[in-house]
Amino acid sequence: MPRTTAAGRSLLAAGRAFRTAPLLIALALAALPAAAGAQLGAAAARGLELEQAGKPREAAAAYREAMRGADLVPGVLGLERVYTELGWADSLRFVVDSVVRASPRNPTLRAVQLRALLAAGRDADARAAFEAWVRAAPGDAQPYREFARQLLAGGSALAADSVIRRAAAALGAPRVRDFALEIAQTRSSLGLWGPAAESWREALGDTPYLVQAAVFALQPTPDGARAAVRRALSASPPSLAARRALAALELAWGSPREGWTALRSLPPTDSAAQAWREFGELAEGTGAWLVVRDAFLAAHRARPDPELLARAATASLSGGDAAGALALTESTGEDAAATAALLPVRVRALAALGRPGEAEELARRAEDSLDEARRAQLRRDVAWGWVRAGDVARARAAIAAAGGVPDPDAEGWLALYQGDLAAARKKLARSTDATPALVTARALLARTRASRAPTAGEAFLLLARGDTVAAAAKFAAAGDEVTDAAPLLLAVAARLHAARRDDAGAIPLWESLVTRYAAAPEAPEADLEWGRALLRGGAVGDAARRFEHLILTYPESALVPQARRELDRTKRMGATS
Amino acid sequence: MTLKCETRKKKDGGDVGRRVALLLVALFLLSPLQLFAQHLLVPMDDEQQNHLKAYGLTYNALKAGLKAEWLLNYRGGSFLLPDSPELRRRATLDGVTAARLDDGSLSRLRGEIAAANMEAVPLEKAPRIAIYTPPKSPPWDDAVTLALQYAGIDYTTIYDDEVLSGELSKYDWLHLHHEDFTGQLSKFYLAYRGAPWFIDQVQRNTEVAKRNGHPTIPSLKKGVAEGIRRFVERGGFLFAMCGATETLELAIAGHDVDIASTFSDGTPVDPAADTKLDWARSFAFRSAHVEKSPYANSMSNIDGHQVNVPSRRQPLGTFTLFAFSAKFDPVNTMLVQDHRSVLPDFYGVTTSFTKATLKPGVSVLAFEEGAPWVKYIHGDYGKGSWTFLGGHDPEDPQHAVGNAPTDLSLHPNSPGYRLILNNVLFPAAKKKPLKT
Repeated sequence: MPRTTAAGRSLLAAGRAFRTAPLLIALALAALPAAAGAQLGAAAARGLELEQAGKPREAAAAYREAMRGADLVPGVLGLERVYTELGWADSLRFVVDSVVRASPRNPTLRAVQLRALLAAGRDADARAAFEAWVRAAPGDAQPYREFARQLLAGGSALAADSVIRRAAAALGAPRVRDFALEIAQTRSSLGLWGPAAESWREALGDTPYLVQAAVFALQPTPDGARAAVRRALSASPPSLAARRALAALELAWGSPREGWTALRSLPPTDSAAQAWREFGELAEGTGAWLVVRDAFLAAHRARPDPELLARAATASLSGGDAAGALALTESTGEDAAATAALLPVRVRALAALGRPGEAEELARRAEDSLDEARRAQLRRDVAWGWVRAGDVARARAAIAAAGGVPDPDAEGWLALYQGDLAAARKKLARSTDATPALVTARALLARTRASRAPTAGEAFLLLARGDTVAAAAKFAAAGDEVTDAAPLLLAVAARLHAARRDDAGAIPLWESLVTRYAAAPEAPEADLEWGRALLRGGAVGDAARRFEHLILTYPESALVPQARRELDRTKRMGATS
Repeated sequence: MTLKCETRKKKDGGDVGRRVALLLVALFLLSPLQLFAQHLLVPMDDEQQNHLKAYGLTYNALKAGLKAEWLLNYRGGSFLLPDSPELRRRATLDGVTAARLDDGSLSRLRGEIAAANMEAVPLEKAPRIAIYTPPKSPPWDDAVTLALQYAGIDYTTIYDDEVLSGELSKYDWLHLHHEDFTGQLSKFYLAYRGAPWFIDQVQRNTEVAKRNGHPTIPSLKKGVAEGIRRFVERGGFLFAMCGATETLELAIAGHDVDIASTFSDGTPVDPAADTKLDWARSFAFRSAHVEKSPYANSMSNIDGHQVNVPSRRQPLGTFTLFAFSAKFDPVNTMLVQDHRSVLPDFYGVTTSFTKATLKPGVSVLAFEEGAPWVKYIHGDYGKGSWTFLGGHDPEDPQHAVGNAPTDLSLHPNSPGYRLILNNVLFPAAKKKPLKT
């Protein structure tokens, strides 16, 4: 290991000293103002009334009168408010200076004095006032704490840090906990993320309601420093508030699974169950459905609730785990209320698993206990089950049996699956759905004049059944059947390959689009995606040529800015053009 | 049939000549631009889609041996390049707006330039660029590196070893950014003493100092500052931003004075440092007061904003580019070419330069109305010249350590970054390199 010079050692030693210093800080809360809770005198009460009536000048006179009587502190606080409203804040300090001289240890008056000076930009005077307070109240933590808080509120983290250090030196180690919140805020402001997280953990021990403040302060932690934050907030013994903060941070950082990991090992108390439920609800917003499922399920197991179990099963289904969802719906035993709550999700799970017969039977048995709307919905779920099983005729029958309000979306899809483009065009024209499949279907229907296209219909059916490999092949083949929409169908096939990270399957389709259908609207997209696939495969030069081709051939395309960004990326990777 | 045909041929022969002549006239009238365009005008006003890459286009044209002209004050400081398919292709790829120009249009354009506060300055040679930056990237971005990378302008990175071994003579243009030439590592120990990157910086600089026979980091940096001073004296172009501006000056003026705190070299700042500084050696400043407290994150009173000293910190305003006479003062005019004349200010370790510390004769390129500081300054030194721009990143006014680097593809029209790139092209305007 290389030796360091004397100067280097000196610098490192200084660094170590400063790292450990905050740990020695110990201060205590000063006593609350004696005036708190006391009844207001007549003048102060009148000032308050005038202030609330929007008469700050008159209120100021009343507060001044109150100050001369027994209501010194309420009078000064009132004056601080109304002077600010009147734009006389600068005059306040003269008033406060005189009352502070009379009561040099009064923390409320001192705090008002510091606020007035800092607000007026008189930093040097504020520091002098702070020093005077320290001298007037030796051994008292309040001056340090108040000044540090006000400096932090003004964004002066370094100055707050120096005040806290002085407190540590003056007051000694045992009172460090009293300053945990200020230290946490200071360290966060200074970007000392690991130590900041340690302080937040300590602060949250006494003030668990500050979880959101901790999350707000620690959220900007850069990637490289997050491990230290995780270590600090998940340290033993587990603290519910610290774990909740970490879980929320992980969600904000885009790692919901790690968020759940932070919470799941908590003992199953009422508080933990509530935290799990809240986390599940937060995670719903991120679409991390399997994490949502785990959180709701844990909350349900700690405090059984059929509604939570249904939400867990629904999340499982949304996350693609239909078998897991079904298992959850089977775990209710003899609980009739839970069984009823879980019936819709059970039907959907069976349908998703390709067991539409069982789904249909279950829906039929439950029909008598359901209103018409829920019955129709269950039938539609069953119909989609038949679609997934590839039996369009049974799906039609299920839709027909649903009765009630007509469902043009479902009828349109069924027509499309059977290649009846004319009927599908009519039924799907007014759909307000915005799923990718519907967007693709409507693009096809708008692009072609054909009224029948069985191969394209099969392709959409395969897509609905979740067989993307076969669907991609069918879409590519359908290009020969619906020639006026061939580029669209090839592009859809390529997208399916790309979604499966099958670049080898997608590249020939993109190449075909760029070479055979250069004038098609899908050609720029094909060029861009082809280039990206080449880049993923390490062919940086070829990728650069594709991006250049896009920019030069389709200069008006909306994809040109993306192509330019990718081209820049290839240059950073060493491509030349 | 044959006779008919021959007769027709004769007739046609007479018509063909007339028709060809008419066709040529028509073509000339209808499409002169297409047929006779010889120049490419790269406008730099609001019509330009990518101002920053326009500099790269021009730089790379010079690098390829082509000649260019900088049309000062004409449509935001436009560039005139020779028309070629390759340049047009490059412009399209980069999203740079460029229009072909025929001789007639160019003649009118020159007439307009001759009659107004404008000038056409020939650009002859792409300067060889060096960026002084540590080998390992620190946790902050460098606006010049970002600008050059985005614009596609080549550069070489150098650091202390290269400066001390005399390699600066290989380059025309040197850029400095965040370096602390007082050797106190920007006094970051106050806030970042535990950060791995800071510890690494201390160790690395200590090793370089030892390798080059310097007992301390401040001594090493003074040696480097002296190398940079000589580079400019012998004809080099220096462009510095952020903390490098102020600390380079302090290191040069304090060559024989201890201006570094105990934590960095084991000895306290010379109590009489202010009176011992030799400002005759420095580029831009004089009579500055050195900050002796190791706890105040400030180097001197050169910086007007003092961003890291809460009790002194000044708010950000806007700065205005000075309008120079293009015909009589082309150098300063080049440095302020922009499509905006008032720009939002941005913080840096050194954000601005107090007027009271400026040497007489320093050109103020940008200032804040009514403020006691200026933003952007320039001057000559020996056979070379220097330019200082305060602040760290024109598109990230509050940039803090650890923040993600600015993505310039989101700011292709940044007026602040244009100031940096003006400096890159400005040496190309010299007819001969002044460097010895």
